[in-house]
Amino acid sequence: MEMKAIYDLLAEHLGAGALGFMDEGIEAHADIDPARIVDAATFLRDDERLLFNQLMCLSGIDWDGYDENGKGKSVAILGYSDEGQPETSDRVAEGDFGVAYHLYSHSLKHKFTLRVRVPRDVAKLPSVTGVWSTAGWHEREAWDMLGIRFEGHPDLRRMLLDEDWEGHPLRKDYQMPAMYGIVPMDGKPLNKNPFSPDEIAKPPVREEQPPAPDDAPTEGE
Amino acid sequence: MMEQKMNKGWASQDHVGEIKSELLELNMGPQHPATHGVLRLLLETDGEIVYKCTPVLGYLHRCAEKIAEGINYKQWVVYSDRFDYLAPMCCNHAYVTAMEKVGQIEVPERAEHIRVVVAELSRIASHLIALATFGLDMGAWTPLLYMFREREVILDLLERISGGRMLYNYMIPGGVRYDIPNDNWEQDVLDFVTMVETKKVPDYNNLLSYNKIFIERLGNVGVLSVEDCFDYGCTGPVLRGSGVKFDCRRDDAYSAYPKFDFEIPVGEGEVGQVGDCWDRYMVRMKEIEQSCRIIRQALEQMPDGPYQTHELKKIIKAPAGAAYSRTESSKGELGHYIIADGGQIAFRHKVRSPSFCNLQVIEKVGVGMMVSDLVAFVGSLDIVLGEIDR
Amino acid sequence: MEALIELLRSLPGASGMSDQTAFIAAAASMATIMFMVMALCAIVFTWMERKVAGFIQNRYGPMRTGRWHGVAQAIADMLKILSKEDIIPAEADKGLFIFGPILVLLGSLLAWAAIPWGPNFIAADFDLGLFYIFAVSSMVILGLLMSGWASNNKWALYGAARGAAQMISYEIPLALATIPVVMYVGSLNTTDIVVAQQGGIWNWFVFRNPFLFIAFFLYFIASIAETNRGPFDMPETESELVAGYHTEYTGMRFAFFFLSEYANLFLVALIASMVFLGGWWAPIPGLPNVPWLTFVIKGILMVFLNMWVRWTLPRVRVDQLMHLCWKVMIPLSLLCVIGSGIWMMLSGQAGV
Repeated sequence: MEMKAIYDLLAEHLGAGALGFMDEGIEAHADIDPARIVDAATFLRDDERLLFNQLMCLSGIDWDGYDENGKGKSVAILGYSDEGQPETSDRVAEGDFGVAYHLYSHSLKHKFTLRVRVPRDVAKLPSVTGVWSTAGWHEREAWDMLGIRFEGHPDLRRMLLDEDWEGHPLRKDYQMPAMYGIVPMDGKPLNKNPFSPDEIAKPPVREEQPPAPDDAPTEGE
Repeated sequence: MMEQKMNKGWASQDHVGEIKSELLELNMGPQHPATHGVLRLLLETDGEIVYKCTPVLGYLHRCAEKIAEGINYKQWVVYSDRFDYLAPMCCNHAYVTAMEKVGQIEVPERAEHIRVVVAELSRIASHLIALATFGLDMGAWTPLLYMFREREVILDLLERISGGRMLYNYMIPGGVRYDIPNDNWEQDVLDFVTMVETKKVPDYNNLLSYNKIFIERLGNVGVLSVEDCFDYGCTGPVLRGSGVKFDCRRDDAYSAYPKFDFEIPVGEGEVGQVGDCWDRYMVRMKEIEQSCRIIRQALEQMPDGPYQTHELKKIIKAPAGAAYSRTESSKGELGHYIIADGGQIAFRHKVRSPSFCNLQVIEKVGVGMMVSDLVAFVGSLDIVLGEIDR
Repeated sequence: MEALIELLRSLPGASGMSDQTAFIAAAASMATIMFMVMALCAIVFTWMERKVAGFIQNRYGPMRTGRWHGVAQAIADMLKILSKEDIIPAEADKGLFIFGPILVLLGSLLAWAAIPWGPNFIAADFDLGLFYIFAVSSMVILGLLMSGWASNNKWALYGAARGAAQMISYEIPLALATIPVVMYVGSLNTTDIVVAQQGGIWNWFVFRNPFLFIAFFLYFIASIAETNRGPFDMPETESELVAGYHTEYTGMRFAFFFLSEYANLFLVALIASMVFLGGWWAPIPGLPNVPWLTFVIKGILMVFLNMWVRWTLPRVRVDQLMHLCWKVMIPLSLLCVIGSGIWMMLSGQAGV
């Protein structure tokens, strides 16, 4: 089934919840009201004409600083300065958070993409773990990395980072930590390079290898 | 007590219910010979039976997605190798396919064929490790050495073409970095593939696959139903072991795969129920043979021509837009969701790794198994922590 | 043993020894010799295991230490183990922790007293020989449980529990498989058992009747399980339990477990050759024969078979192991006993 046709069925079911279908670009997607996402997901999974039984991917997105004009001028992420201090910025982050759902139907072999957007100060939307269990871990990762809270999730806690980590790294306004516990973090390798810059620039000279000792086994032994 | 249906075990539900015992909290820790990588499994067991199994991840998290927002598309290829470091060419292939979809970059035919050959060689290498370490978990020490012998040949072949033995950084958006070397590489690959198909795979089947003890250990263990697979997003040999004939190479038809003729092996329940550990093992063994077939066809039909697209500039920019593209890595469906904003750095790059979704099943299926069966089940899922933690 | 007492009395200045002193001196020297033999067999068999494993796995094994094919590898390993720090975990039960390996070693060492190396060449020739061997080697189970429990480590406990269950269960088919032989010989004395097999390879018990042939294979499989080796090494499976009951042991204490494993291995191999394969007799009666050498060679062949099986087959799961013992091997060995008895009656050999 074509994506537009799928969207029409979905819009018929959701009514006001379906906010629009974006057809330009490489991949078409449908925008959904975040409050109705569980309803949409259940409909997409259970309707006989659609049968989306697999959630391929659930991605959290931080739309802060996205360059709408397509010129590549999005806001850069903050790293470490050359002196080893975390970069800071006075810019106040104001973009929305988004979540993209990519669905696939094994029975009917069609795909679909859903997107939702929530304002930054709210950062909450219902969880679809009840519809596809695989969302459980994807949503945990979105919470861990971006701080989007999924209501109704059975076990929302950090997954890839430590339990006591502060902050949500994939946010665009995330500042790198200066210390982790007692270890200073400066964006540089922890051990020093033993070679000086001059030695690195010089190519190595291969020395004469000493002859092998007599009792070393030869190939045929 | 829980209402779970237990896999085949010698302690029945009633027996355990009568004797009041405490659950022992065990840690199959990050350092453990059987968990394939730094995976930590928190088990609550009663004697041999596991009542709760919680994976704890993140020991290998290397922030690749954040890095993708800081460096440009061409530079990030080297990070894609590090996900599934046992089949790095497949990971390269997944990323460049996604990047080319977003950036609308054309790839010449010859480059596509070369990509298929090296990706399939990587797939064979990855399956060899999967089968070898699976046998090792079951106590069969010898197949490990035999399969690593074959993997050495693959690593040597891939070193000749790309310069690296294990991590290659070989494909770039728009083609491959180097052409095939003219030191008889194609004939060597053909010889290797013939040897694997005719001598080695029957060897492994004789030694390990149909061994009675191996079948006893794996038949009817860790059965994954098709509904569970779809629900938990399992793909790859895990899904095919449960009988579903789904392969991204066939269904999404990317790269040069539509030109080649190959079968998709599925689990048939030869020694037990469909979807047990032995089926997943056998699917991987048969996939090695199918990969050999694909390699042979790709080499025979290799066209002449450029190995990189002519329009490849130094700086690759992708127009504003987003796309999700998936390929069949050796572990399953490896997908990249790239949101581009017109510049040379991605705005958001999400990696959907197959092992991440495959591993989640263990929280459901692991309940009621014995510890030995859990080890067998984790081995049959064939997870790589580099992918899971990214 | 009497020969040794005579030898000791013939030493200069010792002719006036009382019987008791001579006995104790002879027993002490016998025990020392047995311990040295045990250590020697550990050294030889570690090397052999690594070479056999290497060749089965299409590689060489040790090659560098000791000029020819790494023969000094085991000695190097022993020296390395002796130089390791002796760590006792803080929460471990100290007394049991120290005593466990000693018990394991003792269980393996004591059984060697009743092994006949030649016609008059045995440490303790007493009528309960075979029964004594099986009884005394059960001490290993106690030592194993002690070590696993005292380690204060859940994985060690797992390994100890599995190991104890396995070893206790497999004692039964092990002993039952030798009962038909005892029926033929009419005595448990190990020297008598070997003497009853003189006259050539067709007189060896393994070929005397088909039930004994089956009993030999039952004995072999039970012996693999009894020594925690090969397809039955659940208690110490590296891939699940790190190292099972000896996880927390280092240095010399670990060496005790090591020594006892190889001593046990050689012990059951020697028992197999003694009970089924003719002991010190040569296969063809007329051949020039050095008794103890033939016996040792047969033992080494059985050890080689054991190693061959270990490196080829995958591991059996605990419950399948138990099922195999109680539901397959014990009925089969009882069948062998009964069948062998009926065969003896019908062929007129009863009443020996």
